[in-house]
Amino acid sequence: MVLSQKIHDAFKGTVERMTNPRTVSAFKEKGVLSVSEFIIAGDNLVSKCPTWSWESGEPSKRKPYLPAEKQFLITRNVPCLRRAASVEEEYEAAGGEVLLDNEDNDGWLATHGKPRETKLDENERLPSIENLDVSTKSGIQSIPSYFGRDEEEDIPDMAEFDDPSNLIETDPATLQSTYLVAHEPDDDNILRTRTYDISITYDKYYQTPRVWLTGYDESRMLLKPELVLEDVSQDHARKTVTIEDHPHLPGKHASVHPCRHGAVMKKIIDVLMSRGVEPEVDKYLFLFLKFVASVIPTIEYDYTMDFDLGSSSN
Amino acid sequence: MEENKRPILQFAPFQSAVDEGFWHRLSSLKLNELGIDDSPIPVSGFFAPCSHYQVSNHLTLISESLPSEESSSSTTSHGNRNRCPVPGMLYNTNTLEAYRGLDKEALLKAESKKIWDDIHSGRAVEDSTLLSRFFLISYADLKKWSFHYWFAFPALVLEPAATLNYIQPASQYFSSKEAESLSAACNDWRKSTVTADVPFFLVYVKSDSSVSVRLLKDWDLCQDDCQQLLFGFYDPCHLPNNPGWPLRNFLCLIAVHWKINNIRFLCYRENRGFADLGLCLVGEAVITVPEAWKDHGFIPATVGWESIKGKKGARCISLAKTMDPRRLAVSAA
Repeated sequence: MVLSQKIHDAFKGTVERMTNPRTVSAFKEKGVLSVSEFIIAGDNLVSKCPTWSWESGEPSKRKPYLPAEKQFLITRNVPCLRRAASVEEEYEAAGGEVLLDNEDNDGWLATHGKPRETKLDENERLPSIENLDVSTKSGIQSIPSYFGRDEEEDIPDMAEFDDPSNLIETDPATLQSTYLVAHEPDDDNILRTRTYDISITYDKYYQTPRVWLTGYDESRMLLKPELVLEDVSQDHARKTVTIEDHPHLPGKHASVHPCRHGAVMKKIIDVLMSRGVEPEVDKYLFLFLKFVASVIPTIEYDYTMDFDLGSSSN
Repeated sequence: MEENKRPILQFAPFQSAVDEGFWHRLSSLKLNELGIDDSPIPVSGFFAPCSHYQVSNHLTLISESLPSEESSSSTTSHGNRNRCPVPGMLYNTNTLEAYRGLDKEALLKAESKKIWDDIHSGRAVEDSTLLSRFFLISYADLKKWSFHYWFAFPALVLEPAATLNYIQPASQYFSSKEAESLSAACNDWRKSTVTADVPFFLVYVKSDSSVSVRLLKDWDLCQDDCQQLLFGFYDPCHLPNNPGWPLRNFLCLIAVHWKINNIRFLCYRENRGFADLGLCLVGEAVITVPEAWKDHGFIPATVGWESIKGKKGARCISLAKTMDPRRLAVSAA
């Protein structure tokens, strides 16, 4: 692991143990959430977007400052039909602008242009975020050594077929489709449908939500976290997305590092307020997930926006 | 339609997905509690109706699928709409040889006998979660941190196979008034913590086009003014022309328990967590109950071993990267 990151983790852990969780709201001033505001915003997300639910996770990892049954939010089996990396290549190939710049600096909702009609989803818009500099000076370097340093031959396949069987079930009522994902490209070298479990935890140190990704391939086997990076916008893949221990689940997971979340959220809130929209704290996660969509543009999780964002380009 | 012209009703198989946490908890159970005890372990799988038009939902195993180690704080949240429980059994062996040597046919038979018994006794009407069962065989190699496993979703086989009169999107089948009422009733059903995770239900369409959704055991309560009765189930499958696996055993229950041969069914599916009648399907299956089924001692043939990419075969996952203490120590250095 990168040394600076280890030092930072140790420091963060100590601060988290010694400080009390935030209780005073600083949502509009700093873009951060108190613990109770996180619960309020989470409850609202679960009720408006019921594919999300609260879970309690590993009993041994439970945080005392969160209710036992509301430790983190999760939505499972979210489809990801294309690799973000390849989508960006498409744009470049078509000469499209990947990032739209907006002169008055408030275009955080700007979306990708659509240089080429894709066959997957006509209505799809790929979110992006342009002038929010999330990546610099964070002290967080690219992917640590989780998968990085090993020699190629040392990496065992996470998934493999074992013991093909001669077991045959003859049954005319079983649908013999190879696997049940729609829009399978007939071209074999195109990457296929993946699915993701996306969870949102509360980061006590940064006082913001934090997003975690667990990926599965088209035969529903766990993806190596390094492959998850193919579904992260390439602006972020090697910078703000890191592989770390999940605070409530076992194993290493990809996560959008929260060091700049407060600042980004503050900026979004300022834009809204400058347009005369008074942001409410229970909508925080909708705004937050909208922002996260710019990091993982092809993962189709639910963050339905059901409120007025003013005159934004939505 | 003439009998020999009707197509055979084909069901899309259930698919499994195992969360990393499941293997972590199994390993620590094995190391800390079970030792070499290899008796079957009851587990819970979770699923939900299809919630996206492009992907099916799976039967998911997570760490909470296993009995918790500290029996103290088991907060298995009931009524979580995204985690409808399916009862299952884990046959974990101590050696690879024992794993390969398991009598797969006998295991499948034993599990389907449970379903068959619950259909005959009527227990499946009282508690419909008993209709979908699953089990997996596994070998956990805790020296290499690799896990060999294979799922089965037992389904009773009707002989001759059920045929299909028609199948179409629910939005085409119902009048707009009925559709509106059905959507509202289903959304209420999914919102209530009492019914949110109940995967099989009755749908009554009344003469005034209002629709209500009821528990299977409330069959007798709602027969008056019922113009149409449909048998609804949470369909994990997203395909536009085929129902998912859970309907198979449900059809058997309907035929045996209520003695209905032309069965109208509703494949309940959602979009972003709400009823989507464009995705939901309504179909009519025609079945003939085999003569032999009247004898309770008889057990129908069963199928259900999971295929991966069209092939029958077990799977193996290696988690040395995240579980092997030596590797973890190296990567932390």
